[in-house]
Amino acid sequence: MKKNINIQSCVIAAALGAMLFTASCKKEFLNVPPQGQQPSATFWQNQDDALKGVNAIYANLRSWNNVAFNAIAIESTGSDEADKGSTPTDATFFNLYDQFTVTATHGTLQDFWTGQYQNINLCNQVLDNVPNINMDAALKARYLAEAKFIRAYSYFRLVRAYGRVPLRLTVPKENTEFNIPQAEKAAVYAQIEKDLTESAAVLPQSYGSADLGRATKGAALGMKAKVAMYQNKWADVLALTNQVMGLGYDLFPDFEKGFRTQNENNIESLFEVQAELLQSNADASNSQYSQVQGVAGVMGWGFNTPSEALANAFEPGDPRRDATILFKGETTPQGDLVPTTVPNERYNQKSYVPFATRVSGFNEGAQQNFRVLRFADVLLINAEAANELGNPSQALTSLNRVRARARGGNNNILPNVTTTDKDALRQAIWKERQVELAMENDRYFDVIRQGRAATVFGPKGWKANKNEVWPIPQNEIDLSGGLLKQNPGY
Amino acid sequence: MKRIFTRISVLAAFCLLTINVAFAQNITIKGKVIDGGDKTPLPGVTILVKGTQTGTQTDVNGGYSISAPANATLVFNFVGYTALEQAVNNQTTLNVSLASSTQQLEQVVVVGYGTQRKIDVTGSVASVKGEDISKQISTNPVGALQGKVAGVSITNTGTPGGSPTITIRGTGTIYGKTVPLYVVDGVWYDDINFLNPSDIANISILKDASAQSIYGIRAANGVVLVTTNKGKKGDAVINYNGTVGFQKVTNKVEMANASEYATAVNEAYALQTPAVAPLFSNTNLGEGTNWYDVVLRDALITNHQLSVSGGSEKSTYNLSLGYLDQDGIVKNNNYKRYTARLSNDFQIFKPLKIGYNVTAASSKSKDAPSSIFRALYAASPVVPVFNADGTYGDPNAFNLGNGSNMNPQATLDFFNQQTTKYKVTGNIFAELKFLKDFTFKTSFGGDFSQDEVRGYIPVYKASNTQQNTNSKLDIDRVENRNWIIENTLTYDKKWNDHSLTVLVGQTAQRNKMYTINADALNVPYSSEGDLYLALGDASTRNVTDLGELSTFASYFGRFNYSYKNRYLLNASIRRDGASQFYGTNNLWGNFPSIGAGWVISNEEFMKDQKIFSNLKLRGSWGKVGNAGVPINPTVLRVDQSPGYIAFFNGIPYTGASINSFVPPTLYWERSAGTDIGLEMGFLNNRLTIETDYYNRKTEQSIFDIPILGNTGAETPTLIANQADIQNRGFEFSATWADKTDGGFTYSISGNVGMNENKVINVTSGANPIYRGGAGLTSGYLSTRTVNNRPIGEFYGYQVEGVFQTDAEAAAWPGFKRGDFKYADTNGDGVIDLRDRVVLGNPNPKFTYGVNTNFAYKNFDLTLDIQGVADVSVYNANLGNRFGNENFTKDFINNRWTGAGTSNTYSSADLAGGLNNAPNSFYVEKGDYIRLRNIQLGYTLPSAISSKMKMQRLRVFANAQNALNIFGYKGFSPEVGGAPTNAGIDTNVYPLFATYNFGVNVTF
Repeated sequence: MKKNINIQSCVIAAALGAMLFTASCKKEFLNVPPQGQQPSATFWQNQDDALKGVNAIYANLRSWNNVAFNAIAIESTGSDEADKGSTPTDATFFNLYDQFTVTATHGTLQDFWTGQYQNINLCNQVLDNVPNINMDAALKARYLAEAKFIRAYSYFRLVRAYGRVPLRLTVPKENTEFNIPQAEKAAVYAQIEKDLTESAAVLPQSYGSADLGRATKGAALGMKAKVAMYQNKWADVLALTNQVMGLGYDLFPDFEKGFRTQNENNIESLFEVQAELLQSNADASNSQYSQVQGVAGVMGWGFNTPSEALANAFEPGDPRRDATILFKGETTPQGDLVPTTVPNERYNQKSYVPFATRVSGFNEGAQQNFRVLRFADVLLINAEAANELGNPSQALTSLNRVRARARGGNNNILPNVTTTDKDALRQAIWKERQVELAMENDRYFDVIRQGRAATVFGPKGWKANKNEVWPIPQNEIDLSGGLLKQNPGY
Repeated sequence: MKRIFTRISVLAAFCLLTINVAFAQNITIKGKVIDGGDKTPLPGVTILVKGTQTGTQTDVNGGYSISAPANATLVFNFVGYTALEQAVNNQTTLNVSLASSTQQLEQVVVVGYGTQRKIDVTGSVASVKGEDISKQISTNPVGALQGKVAGVSITNTGTPGGSPTITIRGTGTIYGKTVPLYVVDGVWYDDINFLNPSDIANISILKDASAQSIYGIRAANGVVLVTTNKGKKGDAVINYNGTVGFQKVTNKVEMANASEYATAVNEAYALQTPAVAPLFSNTNLGEGTNWYDVVLRDALITNHQLSVSGGSEKSTYNLSLGYLDQDGIVKNNNYKRYTARLSNDFQIFKPLKIGYNVTAASSKSKDAPSSIFRALYAASPVVPVFNADGTYGDPNAFNLGNGSNMNPQATLDFFNQQTTKYKVTGNIFAELKFLKDFTFKTSFGGDFSQDEVRGYIPVYKASNTQQNTNSKLDIDRVENRNWIIENTLTYDKKWNDHSLTVLVGQTAQRNKMYTINADALNVPYSSEGDLYLALGDASTRNVTDLGELSTFASYFGRFNYSYKNRYLLNASIRRDGASQFYGTNNLWGNFPSIGAGWVISNEEFMKDQKIFSNLKLRGSWGKVGNAGVPINPTVLRVDQSPGYIAFFNGIPYTGASINSFVPPTLYWERSAGTDIGLEMGFLNNRLTIETDYYNRKTEQSIFDIPILGNTGAETPTLIANQADIQNRGFEFSATWADKTDGGFTYSISGNVGMNENKVINVTSGANPIYRGGAGLTSGYLSTRTVNNRPIGEFYGYQVEGVFQTDAEAAAWPGFKRGDFKYADTNGDGVIDLRDRVVLGNPNPKFTYGVNTNFAYKNFDLTLDIQGVADVSVYNANLGNRFGNENFTKDFINNRWTGAGTSNTYSSADLAGGLNNAPNSFYVEKGDYIRLRNIQLGYTLPSAISSKMKMQRLRVFANAQNALNIFGYKGFSPEVGGAPTNAGIDTNVYPLFATYNFGVNVTF
């Protein structure tokens, strides 16, 4: 019995000891940092963080909201150059944008909007935090300039699509900063130009091969020219385009080959959204730009197909027709046969990636860059500005330079434009824009800018004083508690 | 045979003490112990020779045999019965009947950290016996609970090896874990899939907050306490249970045949603006392919279980082995599970007992492709399985477009995924009784598991859309390493009319999860031996990982007091600290409870009444917490996801940034619940009734509400304590058990639970939270959660009819003939999302079950019925269209084909306009009633079985889910899903019935 009690006391003592031990170490015991997730407090500390932050901005430009369905619906479907595509019963929501029956509650309006603000937030993160990092000053200035360029590009897409939008230039921190009112269109444009001016002042004309694809001085100036054109600031447009034309850009000799992946970032390129198919990382190979427009059932989903009107818009013999449109049954220059069993007559060839590059488990054509701004566009902008400012000879020079390249050495086609009549020349430049920049998400807002959307898109349902911009997403208005105001007519 | 096993058992139990009972006048006494009420034999009754350690136990037929002095007294003891002492008086046969202690209210139930007499419980605790679980022939112990307990709603998945979802008294959380806490022999789990159902001795479900709150931290979704079988003193008992059977799909949905399909597709094309030429020039295509028949099968299922248990004075043991081999109803799909469980305890010396429980489980599954059921639904009947030349039928050759461009046979043939799971878990414990009334118990539990999913895609080409150019090997491995220490000290004292139990305790636990995902391209495959990442192309190898770590520390105490078995008072408090909230000021939370009861039938003034054999009124209140919330939600993180990898000149560069917003502070998600219950027994407790009213309010529920997209957040939502959720309801259960003079024994019990779920306060105010699956329902969100309404109600357009002509539709932009005509609820002349209305509630209002047992002579029959009522299901299958998916026969037979043909079904252009936006056409009643289980058994007369050296031999036939009655037009109304996304049917596992033949043998 005595022995029992002894053992008993020992066990009790041990147990109480155990209890006290676990109790005493509770403070450390419960101190568990997040696992495998870097807390934000340790970020924005050094040059490497700054670089990562800037890289993320570029990467986000290839996200779904930026290049796929939502961008197509907002920036292309409404135009006369593109049809919905795929089978008639697939993704019929595009018809809302094709026929202008969309109302403010449709989700795509929100997603495109959110996508642009996601870019802007990543830019603002850099612009808010990188200035405080102790790092190479030149590099710091360049990083900030790169962020400003993409912020400007994103606001340009927003202001074209929605008109008045909230203008965020910093990451919201205080409660009062989360819900802010819309800025006037003019104020948005002013900020875009300010960002572009500041970035053009810092950005280099070109990069070494390790940085090929980053924003350049030419990109900033060219973008600024286009932004100015949307405001009819023709003197600015002319000066800016002249400046770009002095930076060494040229037209890539072969129009069709210029859109193939091996010719990305060529001499004609001012800015492209960089994408790649990385076999070790399907999640990084996330661009669906080419996939959603690829030949249905073969290389993608077959949306945003070139319209019959576009096919008929080309002058006889214009090689750009065949370089822009993949026709059912055709064999591509790369040797791919587009089967006759596909549901659509035509597909976008500018986003085309040869079928053999397909890797299962990856988005088809994930390696295709989206061309944001090319030198041909700059030349046509220059031509338009020169014409508006009464300088038809410069206008003709720039315009015919674009036509000469398209001609590809065949002098029987695409004769030089010679008219010096301002109106006729303007029409010729617009026409050239239609065929040169077809299927590059330019046409829809270009025609609205030209002020003839009611004529061109009217038969599809476009109405003046309403459809110049899309509705502000209703959900956004609701969440703002009515602070955001709807566009007229919606 | 029996004796040999006895010896083995003694050895196996490491019992080193020899039992020396050698009295000269010992005689052998034999007899049978039966239930004093229904006269059924009682197995497992402990029989001790009074004043000695000599004892035995009754066998399955209630029989026993013991050697004792002729003048000894035998003590018969059995849980739930009043102990009985009987003098031997030289008799060699001693048959006794034990009085069920329900009359004395001695029935015991398992509660948190202990047991309590049923009479003393002041909360709502439901108990299900192991026998009722093993009779279900269910592969998962939770699935077996369906229909058994009022207020416990279970949704089965059908997938072999899958875990059912269980909801106790309604959904009380949105963002956090919705699974209850499972405590198996003192170790905490999220899932008890690894348990062999026949290892379970008892399941206790703590339904109300006062019963749960002793598990504060994790109790908000209810607590399920599982006690496994333990050995009992006596000779070794060997049990073998085996079943073999097959599973057969019931309630198959009829799909359109090839001719009907082609006709409908042409109709849809003709309805486009502008009209599109018909896809099929010839629509007379006959029956075509029935894809369900091609891919589904009748599937075999086999189950073997073997257990050995027994014990001596100083130790008991129980060893069980289980083997399950289940084919899925999809071809190639198979699941095998092996389980082993061993428990031992040793009475080291009189006050100290130590022991352990350990379970080892492993399973291997040849998986079915995850969306195969959706693929079968969508697949077009015009596509042949194989062409005449042996190649796969190619949907692209028919120009069917996205969504139906897969041949399910090819999907199945080139799918190679295997899931293997290993788990070792258990606990060791020591229990010390000291100073007469004190018990100290310490337990250390561990749970180590590894799950691996290995997928391999070979190089193949079935068609343009089903091909693979580079083989790919994917290995995903998840490891869990969890431990828990629990120390409790109990003081148990009875004096005069008072009974008092005081418990104090402390626990600490740590849960670590680590996941590693790796893949590589161009891995060869000549045998399984090739499936190593090392054999893939080096440049394509990709590895990522993630982990979670959480720790908890807790202290708790409870006291239970009763006076004269009439007045009851229980109270408890638990204080929990959780690492999830580290860095805030809210690391710790307190979870109190209090309960009181009045046993009216024990009052003096009730002595003479004959109506009530039991009458008890109880009420309780308690608070519980939900720690299953995102870890460190207030810590803003850096996002370095692959989407931020930038490419320059084709070379990847790491990108990272901050793209979210977090709340400055968070509080525990807590819920407070009140329960009022009435327990009644009539006619000597032949009829028992228990009824409860409860009101549970989740306060400061943690979930994400939408924020402005223009903040630029990657996911425009903000997690915080944003809502209060209320679940209120009634529960009613009644049992009638009796035995006729002719030897017919039976029991019939029924239960029904009614729950009303409501969000009562949400910080998003008037702004609803829309969820319910973009991608599930053609890109539209189909549920809404808003103040004063249930969580995740279906929300969409109200169909008023179908436009019969274009002229009729002309007033509505975007609509045409054959389209659904929606109610313009805001009267603005335009149909848009502002016109949506509530279409239904996916949270069932009523769940019910009827469970019966009948026995006559050697026959026994069990019949269980179960159902839900007043619930809606969103049938997303039909409207989920990307191209020319197939139609159901029902749709084909009823569709609009021209003016006057239908005013309820749209035209075949289901994808056109807003026809597949969430609307009332797709919301259907999800009520069902089901013959859950029927089992007929026959026990061989013991005269025959004993000749075969068996104590007992029973054969039986069993059918599960043999009959399902519902009006829903999909495969199964049992859909499930997370809160705010629940009840949306897109890829549901078809219902199947299981027919088994089985045998139970006891040696």
